[in-house]
Amino acid sequence: MILRLDFKPEGMKLLRVEIEAEDGFASRVQVRGDFFAHPEELFEEAEEALGGSPIAELPDRAFDLFSRPGLSLHGVDAAAIAATLRKALDANPLP
Amino acid sequence: MRIRFLDTGPNPAAFNMAFDETVLEGIARGDTQPTLRLYSWKPAAISVGYFQGLREEIDLAACERLGVDAVRRATGGGAVLHDAEVTYSLVVPEGHELAPPDILESYRLICAGIVEGLALLGVEAAFAPINDIVAGGKKVSGNAQTRKKGVLLQHGTLLLDVDVEKMFTLLLVPQEKLKGRLIADVKQRVTGLRGLLGREVGYREAAGALASGFSSAWGADLVQAEPEAAEVEGAHRLAEAKYATEAWKFKR
Repeated sequence: MILRLDFKPEGMKLLRVEIEAEDGFASRVQVRGDFFAHPEELFEEAEEALGGSPIAELPDRAFDLFSRPGLSLHGVDAAAIAATLRKALDANPLP
Repeated sequence: MRIRFLDTGPNPAAFNMAFDETVLEGIARGDTQPTLRLYSWKPAAISVGYFQGLREEIDLAACERLGVDAVRRATGGGAVLHDAEVTYSLVVPEGHELAPPDILESYRLICAGIVEGLALLGVEAAFAPINDIVAGGKKVSGNAQTRKKGVLLQHGTLLLDVDVEKMFTLLLVPQEKLKGRLIADVKQRVTGLRGLLGREVGYREAAGALASGFSSAWGADLVQAEPEAAEVEGAHRLAEAKYATEAWKFKR
């Protein structure tokens, strides 16, 4: 199943998260929005690295991955992404 | 400082985005000089930021109906309607005096040219971090930057006029955003040269002022040139192979 949620964390851009979930694991995670991330590739690597995570661990893993040194974020930060993912999971309880 | 200066005029969206990347690749290879390009869009187009979902930001049926192109940029930021505007791109290697390591600082240095160009048109404007320029309390220019292969690409707009109704016909407005940003609000926050000066300002006049502003603010000698034939061909190829493809447009 696919979980989607739009959320605007305080002081951040509107974030749109999409989680493809299967058997308690995330097969794909995407964080979309009008923010900036430098370099863009590092942001996408962090998204890809979330694939395969147990759903319940997604927010914490996302926080770590998007906090990586070398990734510079404007209009979004790791805490905002983690919070948006958490909201998406809370809003869509999995069986 | 010498900077190659191109004015390629109006072109389709995919070509415009591809040309910027072609110059970036040329500089990365070491066979292209630092380049400032002015351009516009024909047909009008909406570009979305690199991290946006094109389908969730743009009403593609409305674009089709109104003959407006849609394209994904290589740079982050939000959706922009490119209609009545002068667009610029600056491509320089990292380490160039306009491309210091600090991103905000490079925005400030590069955008100083737009502030100066506006002053030449009689508009008092200021850089508003991280990437806007405001005049009379309203945004008149938005800018976006990426860095790849040791090269900085920054492109941005100088609005000649703003059609907020058309903008909102083409953009899908999410419920959450709607609360904070109604159409009336955008009219209060965004303006163009026509609104600021109370008269029509055409591409040629604005482009001339912008070029002079960049030259003056950067202390740069702008060397007017025609694009290389190979570069134009490369941009056409890249437009077809990347920017015009469904895979790129809908990659997010």
